[in-house]
Order: sequence, then C-alpha cells, then structure tokens
Amino acid sequence: MKTNIQAKSFVLSWVLALVVFLAGATSGFAQIDTNIHAATKNMESHIGDKTGHAYGDGQGRPDAGVQLYRRYCVGCHGAGGDGEGENALWIDPKPRDFTLATFKCRSTPTGTLPTDEDLFNNITRGFVTTNMPAWNALTEQDRANLIAMVKAFSTRWQTEKPGTPIMIPPETPANIDSILHGRELFEKIQCWKCHGPEGHGDGPSALTLTDTKGNPIRPYDFATGTRFKCGATNQDLYRIFMTGLDGTPMPSFSDNIKPEEAWDLVHFLRTLQVSLKTPELTTFQTWLKGHPNTLKPIGQEVPPGA
Amino acid sequence: MLSEVIGFKRLAVRLLPSSFLMLSCMILSFIFIDAKPAYTLPLSHSVPVRAIPAFARKYGLPCSACHTAWPELNFFGLAFRDRGYQLGNERDSPIWQNPSFWPVTARMTPNWHRESTDQQLTDAVPGNPASGFGPPGTVMQHGFDLSGMDLWLAGTLYKNISFSLLPSSDSTGTFHFENAFVRFDNLAGSKWLNLQVGRFELDNLISEKRFLFLSANGGFYQNYHFIPLGDSNTFGIGDNQMGVALQGHSSNSYTRYTVAVLGSNEGGVGFTNSVTPPAPANNFTGRDYDVFLAFTQGFQTGSLGVQRIQPFIYYGHRPTIFNQTVTGVPIPGTGSGNEPFYRVGVQSDFFLGKLEFLPFFQHARDNVHLANSVPSNTPLSPGMQSAIWNGGFIETHYYVNPKLVFTQRWEIVRMAQQGNTATPSTQGNIDAYSFGYRWYPIMFSRAGLAWHMEYSIVKSIGMVPLSLNGSGLPPLTSTTPVWSSSAFVGFDFDF
Amino acid sequence: MQARYALLPVLFALTVAVASVGPAPAGTIEGKVTYTGTPPKMKPIDMSKEPTCAKEHNPPLLSENVVTGPANALQYVVVYISAGEQSAQPPSEPVRFDQKGCMYVPHILPMHTNQPLQIYTDDPFTHNIHPMPKRNPEWNKSQPPGAPPIDTKWGTPEFIEVKCNIHPWMHGYFAVLNTSHYAVTDNEGNYSLKGLPPGKYTVTAWQEQYSTQSQEVTVGATGAASVNFVFKVTPYLY
Repeated sequence: MKTNIQAKSFVLSWVLALVVFLAGATSGFAQIDTNIHAATKNMESHIGDKTGHAYGDGQGRPDAGVQLYRRYCVGCHGAGGDGEGENALWIDPKPRDFTLATFKCRSTPTGTLPTDEDLFNNITRGFVTTNMPAWNALTEQDRANLIAMVKAFSTRWQTEKPGTPIMIPPETPANIDSILHGRELFEKIQCWKCHGPEGHGDGPSALTLTDTKGNPIRPYDFATGTRFKCGATNQDLYRIFMTGLDGTPMPSFSDNIKPEEAWDLVHFLRTLQVSLKTPELTTFQTWLKGHPNTLKPIGQEVPPGA
Repeated sequence: MLSEVIGFKRLAVRLLPSSFLMLSCMILSFIFIDAKPAYTLPLSHSVPVRAIPAFARKYGLPCSACHTAWPELNFFGLAFRDRGYQLGNERDSPIWQNPSFWPVTARMTPNWHRESTDQQLTDAVPGNPASGFGPPGTVMQHGFDLSGMDLWLAGTLYKNISFSLLPSSDSTGTFHFENAFVRFDNLAGSKWLNLQVGRFELDNLISEKRFLFLSANGGFYQNYHFIPLGDSNTFGIGDNQMGVALQGHSSNSYTRYTVAVLGSNEGGVGFTNSVTPPAPANNFTGRDYDVFLAFTQGFQTGSLGVQRIQPFIYYGHRPTIFNQTVTGVPIPGTGSGNEPFYRVGVQSDFFLGKLEFLPFFQHARDNVHLANSVPSNTPLSPGMQSAIWNGGFIETHYYVNPKLVFTQRWEIVRMAQQGNTATPSTQGNIDAYSFGYRWYPIMFSRAGLAWHMEYSIVKSIGMVPLSLNGSGLPPLTSTTPVWSSSAFVGFDFDF
Repeated sequence: MQARYALLPVLFALTVAVASVGPAPAGTIEGKVTYTGTPPKMKPIDMSKEPTCAKEHNPPLLSENVVTGPANALQYVVVYISAGEQSAQPPSEPVRFDQKGCMYVPHILPMHTNQPLQIYTDDPFTHNIHPMPKRNPEWNKSQPPGAPPIDTKWGTPEFIEVKCNIHPWMHGYFAVLNTSHYAVTDNEGNYSLKGLPPGKYTVTAWQEQYSTQSQEVTVGATGAASVNFVFKVTPYLY
C-alpha cells in the first residue's frame, strides 16, 4: 500500500514537472521579450569612465542593458521602446518614445541628439510630476547599460553625433536691473502666451498645447514651485529655455537671446516661483514696494502695429 | 520510466538548452523525495510573504522594477519603501490617483506538498494506543493544500504620510493583523527623519517576509525564530514587533539606519502577546520596552552590482513571573520579573552580477532565568546558566532573467552554552538546506504569478525541527538527530 | 494655365524650381485632382488671442485642412514622382517658408531632401516654429520679430507637420521628397510636372487628410502624359 502511494506520487510529481517544464519552454521563459533593432545590438554608452552596453557582448547575449530594460522600463516604454508599454494608456504625461530619439532634457541644441551624460542625468533624476521615478538606486554601471539600451531603439544614434553642449557663461548678479530686463524678455519673446502673465501656466495658448504626439500638455506653473523637469538649479533653468524641450511646445530661444540676457530671464523666472520665496523674489518685491504702479501688467500692452 | 526520462531530456535539449539547470534541479528534488519516505502534516500556516501589485498598478512599473524576484525587494524597491512608499515625483499623494484605485492586494499559493519527519514514535499497532510504542519511524504525508492568505492594503494617505494594513489568515481563514502601521516621512524636510508607528517587520536587510521560500521546513529562517529547548523567551527577530521606529536613508538608500523602540510583548495586541499563529509559550506581556538598532551601508562595485551590509542589535526583556488568580489562572498583562536577552549580528547582501549572496550571522544570548524558564524571584538550581548560541546562513539566488530565479540556502544554528550544564552540548543544533526555483511566466504591472518548486531538509538534534507545521514529537534521546524534509510545488499568485 | 500659376505664389516658386532642374526638358505630366463625396466645412480661424492678426484677417480666414475649388477640385495636394526618376540631386536654391499674419505661406511647402530651407517671419511678435517629424530630428525654435531667417534642411523624405504652439491655429506641412519633380495643386486642382525625360514613372498624390494615391504612367518621346487623381472625402476631419 505504501509503495503504491509512493509510486503514485512519483508519477504525479513527474506529470507536474513535465507540465510546467513544457509550459515554460514553449513560452520561452528564458528569453527577454524586448525587441530592438538588430543593427543596434552592440550600442554603447560612455559616461565618465563607465561604458554601458545594450547587449552584454554585442553578440546577442542579453546580459546587459536589455535585461535591465526588461526589468525596469518595459512596463511604460514598451518592448519596442516606442513608449507604448502596457501602462502607456494610463499614464499622463506619456512615456518617451525612444524610436524617435527626441528628448526633452538635453545640454545640446534643439534638434540634436543629447549626450550620454544628459540621458544618464535624466534617469538618475527622474521627471517630476510624471511617472518616471529617479533611478538613482541603480548602480552607475546599470544606468550606463540602460542608456546604451535607450540608444539601441533608434538608428539615429548610428548616423548622427550628439550635439555640442551649449556654453553657459558664469551667472550674472541677480540684481533688480537683471530681473526687470528679464521681465521685458518674458513679455517680448512671448513666454506668457503659454506660461501666463504671472507664470501660473495659464496663458492664452495654454489650453491648446499638445506634445508632438498630439497629447495635451500643460505649461509649467511657476507658482507651484515644484522643481523643473530638467533639474532644479539656475543652470538647469538656463539650459531649459536655451535648448528647448524637444517633443513639447517649449521652443529653443538660443537664436534670439544673448547669453547674458538669458541670465536676466532666469532671474525673473525665479521671481515667479512665489511659493519658494526665492532671493530673486525678495529683491523684486522690495523694489516693487519702492516703485508702485511703475510696471505695466504683462500681456496687456497693445502690440506694435495694431 | 528510464525511457521517459531520456525522452524528456531530449525534449529539453531541443526546446531550451539553458533550462538544464532547472531540469536537473527538478529531477534531483524528486529523487530526494522518493529516497526519503515521507509524510505530511497539514500546512496550517505559511509565513506570509509580501509584494504589492497595488503599487505596480498605481505606478505602472512591472514587478521586476521593485523586486529582484517578487516578493524580495531590490535596491529600487527598498528606496521606494524607505521613501514611505513614494516615488518622490509629486504624484504620490492619493489625490493624483484615479478615484477607483484601491490599494489592496491578495496573495495565496495553492500547492502540493510532501512532508516527512523521522524518529517519530507511533503506536506499535497502528490505531491502537494500548499497544504501546513501536520503534521510532518516519511519518510522511502529501497532498494538495492551501497556503495562508495575505490581504494587504498599503499606500499613501497624503504626501509623506503612508500606511500599511495587512490582515493575514492561515489556510483555514483565521485572521490576525500581520502588520498595521502609519508612517510619516521627511520630517522637517529631511529624508533622515521618518517615523513609523504600529506593528511592523524589523528592518532586517534580509527580510523573511519577502523571501523566496515557501515550504514548511524552508519557509522561514531557523535563525530568525530559534529558541533553545526549555527557554521561555518568545523573541524571534523575524517576528513583527509593535512599537515606533525612527528611520533615515540617503537619497538612493545606500545608507540607512533604524532606531526602533518596541513593546516587549512580541508584537502582541492588547496586554497579552497572543500572536496567532503560532501561539508562543507564554502568553503574557512584560511591561518593558525593547530596542532595535540597525545600520545599512551599500557600496557600488562596478558591473558586479551593489554590496550591502547591515550590522544590527536587538536588546530586550521578557517577563519570567506571571501573576495568577487564586485559582491559578494567569492574569494577562501582568508579566513581571523581566529578564534580558540580546541578538547581535550582521546581515549582508552581495551581488556578483546575476548571482546574489545573502550571508547572515547572529550571536544570541538569553538570560539564565529565560533560558531555564525560572521566574526571577525563584532561586536557580546548580548548573543553570545563560543560553548562548550562534547561527548563520548563506542564501544564494541566481537570476537567470527577471522571470526566473534559482535559490538555495544552507543554514546552521550551534549552541555555544546550554542553559544547563547537564544538557548535551549539541542538543538544539540545527542544519538546514533548501533549494528551489521560482518562475514568473508573466511579469507585468498588474498582477503576479509564480510557479514555485522547492525542496527543504532540516536536521535538528534532540528536538523536533522547527516547522511551519509546528508539530511532531521529540526524539527518544537528546542526542538523536531528527530529520525533516519538505517538497513543495505551487502557484503563487498575487493580485 | 499660366494665369492659374500666377494665382499662387507657391506654385510660381515651384515652376521656377522645376524649370531649373534637368538638362533637357523633355516631357510633362499634367493632371487634375478632384474629390468625390462631401468635403468637410472649413471653420473660420479664431485669431482673437492675437488681435493684430484678427484685425488683419477680417472676415476671418478658413482653416486649410481640406481646401476645395470649383468642379470638385482639391487644392493643396502634393503631386510628385515617387519612382522612376534616374537621378535626384538636391537643388542649391533655398525654398522659402513665411510666417505672415499668423498664417504659414505657403500652407504646404514641397522641397527636395537636403535642399536649403529658409523660414522667415514678417510678424511683429514672436512665433515658434515646431516641425514634428517622425523620421527626421525634431526641433522647436522661437523666432521673434525682426529675427534673421532660420536656415535648415531635412535629410529624410517625410511629410512633416509644422505648427506654432503660441498660435495653435498656425498649421502647415513641409513635404520633403526625394525628387525635384513635384507640384502642389492650385485652386482648380491642376498640377503639372515638367522636365521629365521619357520613361516610366510612378506619380503619387498626397493630401494631408486623405493620405496618398499612386499611379504609373509612361512619358513618351514626345513628352506629354496626363494623370488625374480622385480622392474620396469624408465630411469630418480626423
């Protein structure tokens, strides 16, 4: 009787094992279900002294970026890197489409590819007010591998070189002259059309904005004081409007704003972050107290030629 | 049968050469099972283990983003938990969630398992107690079964305020609160000041609640629950405790600390420490507080990964005197005569690429009154002394990819000083070995399913091996080793 | 025929471009693009958010997604040689794209790949030019009044939607083609591809709402061929 039970359970064990093995084998569980361009399998990234790899050995062994990508990124950015992951439907703003190789946060001019460091900084920092978290808990090597993987989704990385990072001169003093000049610029180059006269993100065109893929997108509301998508420092702010955020309505102003003027705009923009009580805001408010009714409200002047 | 095996292997070669390891693992496990006649005690309770697809649903990340293999957390998942279940993108507060989002997760594991323990005394004539004992033999059982169930709610109440509520049942549906706490993060704007209040797991770097073993013998760490024979202490570092914890972490959680002040009633509610199940030996609280300190530091080592190490110490008291009514009924919550114990050790987590090592070492000491279950107002007999023991384990995981992990663990407990000089020096020593694999046929951001196979074998000298079954008889002599083994296959699902 | 060309500066520019290409003008493909069905009604553009422009265009202009002419003619259809051409060298003469009175002139600007493209602004306020390619690099630049033209070019054939985010009604296309033989239909739906050596060609017509149609045609030694296209239109935009 005992032997009978044992024999039965032995057979049962084998049946169970066989079933699961076949199920596993046929569904290819040892594979990584991520599809990248065959031509870009040996894509690399170079961040500092680290070299990242999309595929471990460039021979199709999925030991580096591709496996990390499967582990961390695929839910939103999709197996094909097209931003159509299973969660894309539920996410706003939408995940980045790597096949276009268009990136918001760059140190390089609009229309050019970002540097590897730019992408590295992006995944390290994450994007505030989006679903993209900071991946700073991953090792630098893992992040470098992921950058190689991101680049593997577009052949643009093989035919084009990243742009040359824009030069950022030393910051000028954030005095009242600088702030007032920045305010003029803010009006002249029509920042307020989207970001609003007070920087609340409520300009006349704000509601019409869409990103390149046609999804509605909101201009930054300076009053909330949340950190910018591309960093929190004055340098980051400088970089944002001089390079533009490609893929969004935010254009590059580098052709029209001189570097020293750009710092003026930075200083004025800081006064709009009322919830942060920035030093620029204090300077501006002190000046305003001494000069009541001097400044005309932004966006209410009659344009020339009207 | 042989031809079947050969055919099976051929099939394997054709289908998937890389799965040989798994195949041999399976074959080995069943050979083992068959070599040892087995028996099964019903798996009444499984240590609940944790993963929250509710968070995957909230944030749209696949399970693998936060778990090396769920439920074990990876660096990113640990950082997420350390931030108070927040990604930190100004979108964590529930106001940003779809109103229909409900942060609840259910987990259970329908399974087939097989349990065997030797050195068991049974009736000489089965079913006839009057016939006396026969020679010690092996008891084996097997069958389909259920694990316990977790119904876990966890999420944010507001920015920087989070909660966790885990009603957990055994396989019969008897519930208890496995954890329940509220947590306040970034006090004074600092990530180094976070406060957690309630019942929670100690900040063990190697979490027993999130590990990758489920069988009756392997589904817990011996070291996390070991108490020498005759010791009245109830403490296990793997038990959830009730209290308040101050925690802090660097932005990537490579550096972390915990200072916790905990009630000395072993996580029990009310004024008793009735932790169910399993009920500890003495259901009475002391009026004291324990302290747990832990510090974790992680280091990046190039392409190998992050190496983490966590020294810890737990210092506490347990009562030895229990007031009784005139009829001899202990009065709950009246334990006194608190006597001290401590646990000190190091937990670590090392990565060599896809290979993860989890070494653990612990030195433990229970006061002489605890070690001998002698009230502190009662004179000690000659030969009584503190109980001291050391223990450790090395657990290894091999992550073939985010959907397949092989596991193994070797664990020992060695008595250094018995509570009584008369006790044989080896009594209570444990050797345990477990191995298995988990395969996640689907890995996405809504739910989890794992196929789990595991084999586990334990040798315990002069004691019934500690087991989630919690039953069995001690051997005839205090130097007799008792072997107990478990085989477990199941579908672990989590939604 | 010539009178029709004079109607639209864009086609005038095109004929110049076409005439300057090719050693020996041989053949011409001509034709007419029409529609069947009910075309959508173009809505008046509300420019009240930029008062200067609102004043300039009174009554308001209609949007230009589907522009029809007499006798079911379909305007702003790009017709070009998509196959059969022997060699295609990008001309060195730049094509010009204007921002004028909050409108793009022309609405659709065809060009050869790698042909210089100059983007001018005549308006007394800032625009941003935001082409949204799928295969070329995307960029987005602001251009304040009086700024010099933006010099650029596109390397990969593609129909690129371009818009101004500040003035969301501004909406046009760059038709980047691997040929210099292209035309945009005029208000009577007519087009003409000139300077084609004898041979077999594929002629393709592209309309921004209704995608592409292609036909094969052979241009004989004497030169002329006729290809007409009919688009089935729907009364709604998508």
